[in-house]
Amino acid sequence: MSESPTADVAAPLPEPDWQRLHPATLALAIVKLGPRSLNFLPAVAALGFTGNWVYIVPAILLFILFSLVGAWLRWLRFRFLVGADEIVIESGVLSRQHRTIPFDRIQDVGIEQGLVARALGIAKVGFETGAGGAGKENDANLDAIGLDAAQALRTTIRAHRSAPVAVVPVATTEGEAAPVAAADEDKLLFAMGPRQLIIAGLFNFSLAALAVVGAGMQFFDNLLPFNIFDPRDWVDIAEDYGLDQWVVAHRWVAGIGGVVSLLLIGFASGVVTMIFANWGFRLTREPRSLRRTRGLTTRTDVAIPVRRVQAAILVTGWFRKRFGWHELRLQSLASDGEKEKDHQVVPFAQLADIDPVLAEIAIPRAAEDADWQHSHRIVALGGFVGAVGATIGGLTAVSFGQPLGWFGPLTGVLIGAGSLFGARFHRWIDLGDQVAIRRGMWKPKTTLLPHASVQSADLKTDFILRPLGLATLVFGVPGGSALASHEIPAIPRSVAEALRARILTAKARV
Amino acid sequence: MTDIDTVHPTDPFDPQAINTSEGLDPVDPRYTNVLRITTAMNLIPLAIGASVFDALLIRHLEGPYGLITGLAWLIAIFMIISFPARRMQRWGYKIGEGQLRVARGWLFRTDTIVPFVRVQHIDVGQGPVERWFGLSHLIVHTSGTHNSTVTLPGLPADLAAAMRETIRRHIQTDFA
Repeated sequence: MSESPTADVAAPLPEPDWQRLHPATLALAIVKLGPRSLNFLPAVAALGFTGNWVYIVPAILLFILFSLVGAWLRWLRFRFLVGADEIVIESGVLSRQHRTIPFDRIQDVGIEQGLVARALGIAKVGFETGAGGAGKENDANLDAIGLDAAQALRTTIRAHRSAPVAVVPVATTEGEAAPVAAADEDKLLFAMGPRQLIIAGLFNFSLAALAVVGAGMQFFDNLLPFNIFDPRDWVDIAEDYGLDQWVVAHRWVAGIGGVVSLLLIGFASGVVTMIFANWGFRLTREPRSLRRTRGLTTRTDVAIPVRRVQAAILVTGWFRKRFGWHELRLQSLASDGEKEKDHQVVPFAQLADIDPVLAEIAIPRAAEDADWQHSHRIVALGGFVGAVGATIGGLTAVSFGQPLGWFGPLTGVLIGAGSLFGARFHRWIDLGDQVAIRRGMWKPKTTLLPHASVQSADLKTDFILRPLGLATLVFGVPGGSALASHEIPAIPRSVAEALRARILTAKARV
Repeated sequence: MTDIDTVHPTDPFDPQAINTSEGLDPVDPRYTNVLRITTAMNLIPLAIGASVFDALLIRHLEGPYGLITGLAWLIAIFMIISFPARRMQRWGYKIGEGQLRVARGWLFRTDTIVPFVRVQHIDVGQGPVERWFGLSHLIVHTSGTHNSTVTLPGLPADLAAAMRETIRRHIQTDFA
């Protein structure tokens, strides 16, 4: 197993300088036990239902004991070695796994700290190797090591990457010398202060939190003496306190109160989620990458190699657009965490603040007054099919005597009108070395796609587009979500063919 | 809108009309047999299942026994006999000028171009049915999320190998 180059370096020593995870990781395992014990609940319930109450406490104790012993064994059997130009990780209690990752192949070193991890001064280090396909579990990570060790490790890997020929210092450096040297070259591109966070949060208005609260209320329905979403319960309470006459007399007060509380919940949840996610947001330019740190409870530190950026995506909303606020995402080979596919590098900013970031990755923004081309209106057809479906479904329900079915035709008309109106927002423009695609009315989304990122191009026609002489161009671009491919829908076929020929002759990005 | 004449095949009864109008080469006609056999292998078990269902259930319910069986076999035989030839004609490809072009389908037609320099790696595959007819399929992998694999079936085995060599040479010259 030790045929790696590092073994040659440490050849005289029988045991190279293996390191373990931080002992505080065990404390983290105890914290993680909380959510995991939910899995154990059915067993407890089963014991309770069968009447074996005496076994419940021993069973829980046994579960905790087994989990802790398991965590301890995993910690004991996990070790890693930072070599001169690679990192070796050995893990597994019963089936051992030996993994060697050359520094050259590490695209991105991410540092992530949860709330407990920050209290303990440890951090999770993730290595993004860009190995395609199989998903996140394919990438190695160290969960967790001390924060200073994590930063030193990243500096080591960065130093190796930025100076491939230079002799790399001893890998397990504890010193601060290297980070200082690297920090000199960093340039702050974008940061968010508390004020901007609050503005962003206000635009982040969402009633999704209300749904969560509502679901929670459903769940705890039996615990509360009344349902806060049921007006009749409020009337009951009001009667108890003699409020009913007053409320009936001033019914509008109740209405306004409801609206105000809804708005308050919507704004408060928007601000809170924005602050939790983006507290202390900093985007800096490093020699080879953009580096983003953010988060209030869970702090993440992610580097996005500039050469790996495939496309830039500008997202805004129909309302915030009027105030010039935009969000910038970068599509890269690596994905941003488990949920997000694209890296959010600017959560909320004016275009003037976004342009410098775009300049760093050499993807300039298309001018607003440029010669944008429109897609054919036929793109509204999908919405029309949905509208017809909703109408038919609703009318069927009405014919069965369900008055709520009238919502069907109503939403059908709305969907139809919306898709017809939204079809005007499908636009594109070819800028010579990149193509910009814009779509969406509620959430206008502009994709800036360099020609060189396009790996393949489909020209699609079907029985509807063909008689109209139209075609849809679909681009194969590395990274991003498989569901959201980049496409220019319903443009004249000759234009599409010419555009495809231009794009595919582009040289690879340097 | 501008050139509907070139978009529509001139003669709907000419099997090569689509490909010639778009400047594509047809795949090997033997691919029809491959499609026919794979369709049969999919549909005949379904038809047998429908017959068993008919015999076990509908007969005991005193329903119209025989209707489902007859329909299932009729549809299966119709699809096995008539469709494969058409599906074969809808495939087309063109190799050259540093790129591979693959087109397929008619109702929903997709015409894909992969420049050779964008190819990550190439597979030439041969299933048991294809081997029977001396055919292979070529699979080109790109790093794009959409179109990460582009498959071109119905190639004579030696032609598929030759195409693979052509593409491979281009990949090498690009990185050299």
